Amino acid sequence: MEKELKVIGKSHRKLDGKERVSGKAVYGHDIELPNMLHGSILRTAHPCAEIISIDTSKAEALEGVECVITADDDVYDVNNISYKRDHPILKKGTVNCNRDEIAAVAARTKEIADKALQLIEVEYNVKKGIYDPVEALKNEAPQINEFGKGKEQFGNKNMAESFHYEHGNLEEQKAKSKVIVKRTYELPRVTHACMATSNITAEFSPFDGRLTLWSSTQVPFLYQRDIAHALKMEPSKIRIIQPIIGGGFGSKLDMHPFEPICVLLAKKSGKPVQILFSREEEFVLSPTRQPMVIDLTTGCDENGKFTFREVEIIKDNGAYTSWGATTPFVMMQSYSSLYQVPACKFDSHAVYTNNPFAGSFRGYGNPQATFSIETNIDLMAEELGMDQSEIRLINANYKGEVTGQGLHFKTCGAIPALEKVIDESDFEKANAEPKGDRYKKGIGLGSMLHVGGGAKIYRSDGCGTVLKLDDYGYLTIITGSNEIGQGSETVLAMIAMEELGIAEEKIKVINTDTDVKPWDVGVHASRTSFVAGNSLLGAIKLMKEKLNKKAVALLDVVTDDWEYADGKMTFNEFEIKIDKVAREMHFGTPHELCTVNYFYEPPSKFQDKDFKGDVSGNYAFASQAIEVEVDTVTGNVEVLNVHVSQDVGRVLNPIGLQGQMEGGLATGIGYALTEEMIYENGELKNPSFHGYKLLTATDMPPVHFYPIETYDEAGPYGSKGAGEAPLIPTAAAIANAVSNALGVTFYSLPITAEKVLRALKEQKEKNKEVLV
Amino acid sequence: MDFEVINTTTSDELLKAIAANQNSNFRIGAGFTDLINQLKKQNTEELTIINIAQLKDEAYTQIVEEADGLRIGTLATASDIVDNNFIRENYPVLHQAASKLACTQIRNVATLGGNICNVSPSGDMTASLIALKATCHIVDCNGGERAELLSDFIIGLKKTTLKKNEIIKNITIPMNDHHNIISGYEKVGSRKSMEIAIVSLGYHIQMNNDGTITDAGVSCGAVAPTIPFATSACDFLLGKDIQDLTEADKEEFANKVMEYASPISDVRASEWYRKEVLFNLSQTIFS
Ligand SMILES: Cc1cc2nc3c(=O)[nH]c(=O)nc-3n(C[C@H](O)[C@H](O)[C@H](O)COP(=O)(O)OP(=O)(O)OC[C@H]3O[C@@H](n4cnc5c(N)ncnc54)[C@H](O)[C@@H]3O)c2cc1C
Repeated sequence: MEKELKVIGKSHRKLDGKERVSGKAVYGHDIELPNMLHGSILRTAHPCAEIISIDTSKAEALEGVECVITADDDVYDVNNISYKRDHPILKKGTVNCNRDEIAAVAARTKEIADKALQLIEVEYNVKKGIYDPVEALKNEAPQINEFGKGKEQFGNKNMAESFHYEHGNLEEQKAKSKVIVKRTYELPRVTHACMATSNITAEFSPFDGRLTLWSSTQVPFLYQRDIAHALKMEPSKIRIIQPIIGGGFGSKLDMHPFEPICVLLAKKSGKPVQILFSREEEFVLSPTRQPMVIDLTTGCDENGKFTFREVEIIKDNGAYTSWGATTPFVMMQSYSSLYQVPACKFDSHAVYTNNPFAGSFRGYGNPQATFSIETNIDLMAEELGMDQSEIRLINANYKGEVTGQGLHFKTCGAIPALEKVIDESDFEKANAEPKGDRYKKGIGLGSMLHVGGGAKIYRSDGCGTVLKLDDYGYLTIITGSNEIGQGSETVLAMIAMEELGIAEEKIKVINTDTDVKPWDVGVHASRTSFVAGNSLLGAIKLMKEKLNKKAVALLDVVTDDWEYADGKMTFNEFEIKIDKVAREMHFGTPHELCTVNYFYEPPSKFQDKDFKGDVSGNYAFASQAIEVEVDTVTGNVEVLNVHVSQDVGRVLNPIGLQGQMEGGLATGIGYALTEEMIYENGELKNPSFHGYKLLTATDMPPVHFYPIETYDEAGPYGSKGAGEAPLIPTAAAIANAVSNALGVTFYSLPITAEKVLRALKEQKEKNKEVLV
Repeated sequence: MDFEVINTTTSDELLKAIAANQNSNFRIGAGFTDLINQLKKQNTEELTIINIAQLKDEAYTQIVEEADGLRIGTLATASDIVDNNFIRENYPVLHQAASKLACTQIRNVATLGGNICNVSPSGDMTASLIALKATCHIVDCNGGERAELLSDFIIGLKKTTLKKNEIIKNITIPMNDHHNIISGYEKVGSRKSMEIAIVSLGYHIQMNNDGTITDAGVSCGAVAPTIPFATSACDFLLGKDIQDLTEADKEEFANKVMEYASPISDVRASEWYRKEVLFNLSQTIFS
């Protein structure tokens, strides 16, 4: 059970907080190398077209331009990129979406590079394009991606990826159902809106063939492999350095064309090259959350016990296939295992279109799934005449449960989390209360399930740690994991402080250089504190064995029971400073340094070919009760209060955790109410914060956070991953709250003011008809 | 961006700078919050900026109560307006408009004159000043002065009567006849800050002690190429007793406001929504 801790569980400011807020932090944009050139990329003028010709001669002639490349260049000896290897880095012959890269320029200044782009002449044969996945699936549709293997793999040329999952006896469960609800949900394209725009700086040495990249990737070792594959290089010749990263949220899980393009420019020009996105490019080019249409049928028996879920999803894959196509891995967890589900059938098809390709985004398909599940639950409760809270409580996940998919909940805070938010928000009362006149109040519930101990989707989900205690008692933690703002390096420092009794100012975390650090799969799946934390604990154990042994020899006492605190090791009346032990190791015989090296691989398993198995080291559960007020004059929905309770296993750094809650909720609320990339015929109509309604600090409601501690033995100190969860049930809870306020259910996001006013108008007209 | 900047600290320097640049391409810069965005989209090589942000002349910078009204220097920032108690008490419509503009950082530099001269249909301070029947006081580079009602000064989308040799010095707002007012600025958008109005409604209605409406100003933002002063809606109210307004009166008032609305659909809202909201809002201001 819980051990008495000194550092863990107490709020600790971020290690790099001061640098960040004072403007001293060095982002990729701040990097400047001698003789560095600036790159710009020419993108297609039409989302769907044949390229007849490209003439770069005028651009090449422009003063200050050092090189121009196209897919016909000698330097362009490359492989296709992306998860399905269906994405050419530079396009020739055809262009398939608005992002398509045709040529690139490196010049002495960014202005010259941009000017040069305007001088490149491209002749197109413009085609209509297909922007609706349903159209793309029709027989008469042309094949959108020439590298797609849909025909062979899934029987349709425009199918990019397809998943089927099932458990239980669907027909039997349908027969048992008293209530069956079938609805169609539509989810929009939204974007990460990282405050730092995408960036890369590449330096290639023609002498030893080594490449150094200053990159904002969130998965440096997978990225190293991807770059190597794209450019036909040996991965180990590529060194990835991560400057401070101003937001990832999943957008930097894939390698994108601009990155190998930057390398090609560096190779051709023989000089370092930097590419920085403008805000508009960031909107147009970074991958989006998957837009999709979800058909969900769910049932429950006369007591409200869930019987089955049957779901069919069509996802707009866009023109190429990124990691985002694998979001069904997460979605099927929620459909099969969020609440107790005796039978489940799940089909998901990602379909090529001439839209931009979607990618991965915090929550990874789960916000979409959860929105549909939780809305259907409210509708079933209504039909049964049951409380929305009760139906959830009687179906909630429980400790010891092994779900139909094989997820094993060794600890489970689902019921405590639900009870907590129901209680704290006075849910029953608020739900039943009169709604008001112009401003109508409502409250809604949503719960979620997500991996909490990494997710085994790559051959290794592990993380390496090297520890070095120097002669002066300073500890260097070289961790494979990386920091993209989530605060995990602070947690690592806290763990070292806790275990070794070393003060914060004597701890350094080194995590930005693949030439130095050991392997780790990257920042995703809410895994870093869990996996890197366990890895560090393993390394600390090894270091303590060394230190213990030396202390025993130095003090002439026999024990393994040393206490580490205040820079000292103590056992009864015996005491020695930790730096002295390290020095004695170094300078005394047999002369060794106090360094250790450890690799941690979580106990999770690969799922089998039917997608069954215990894929994560542990699982996180959360519920939210959200109060809203709808202005019936403007249609605006204001979120008044968020009650969120989450099973985090154990709180490691309260202030960091609160930050994750608030940041996640901001994204979740935007997803629910305001954010949407408006695409018309493959073109983005709102590529700026003026038209894209990312919420601001002033829109944030009070966040009442109640952590649930279940002390899961798989996690460091019993903790679970927490990063993605806070945004997952938010849209669901808000949609349910709006429905509670107005008596109208919304099946698509975002629930904009305009949608609300239209619904109110329809409602009014219907009521009139009834009266007539 | 590469342009020349002339910094002016006195009105004399300013007028001289304007006179000296009559044959070249120049722009006035005050808070630069609109200007910089515009310059990003154009070639600035041949451009001169006459910077008035450091001007020390009180006629351009101060907010002063005068016998017949209030005078606000063109360089008064949105924050200066928000912080001014006289404005808060007497002209809530202006106070609210300034406080709903952008965010604190922008409000600290965004000037009143810049808001007017940017001539956007969604300019918040401008919309409130139109409802307040404000007058612009304009000087030319020879020292000549003229005054023009703000609603006449703006003649079309991005168009004013301002000549190349002129600059706005300050604006005046007539004194309220009565303390009995209904005044406010409704701004519709999906964010609480950093939002350009999708629709806005400014209103400043004065009543005598009996409740009879003696003066009314109503303007609507972001629903037409300019910010219209809804004359017929205002006329409809004059002489009516505020307590006696019926639901039908309110609806008729709203219908009259709608006569001035010819909104477009864009990515931020549809024509339908803008009309619906303006109609809804117009009915609510009396409740
Ligand atoms: C992020 C952001 C958010 C914004 N939000 C809002 C908002 O919510 N509501 C809103 O109304 N506006 C908003 N704006 C627009 C802008 O901030 C305002 O219009 C502001 O009042 C402009 O004032 P300024 O001093 O910055 O003008 P500047 O940019 O300096 O000038 C604007 C124009 O006015 C001219 N000009 C300035 N002073 C004079 C003068 N005395 N005589 C003649 N011409 C002059 C300039 O030449 C220029 O053409 C926003 C802008 C930004 C960047």
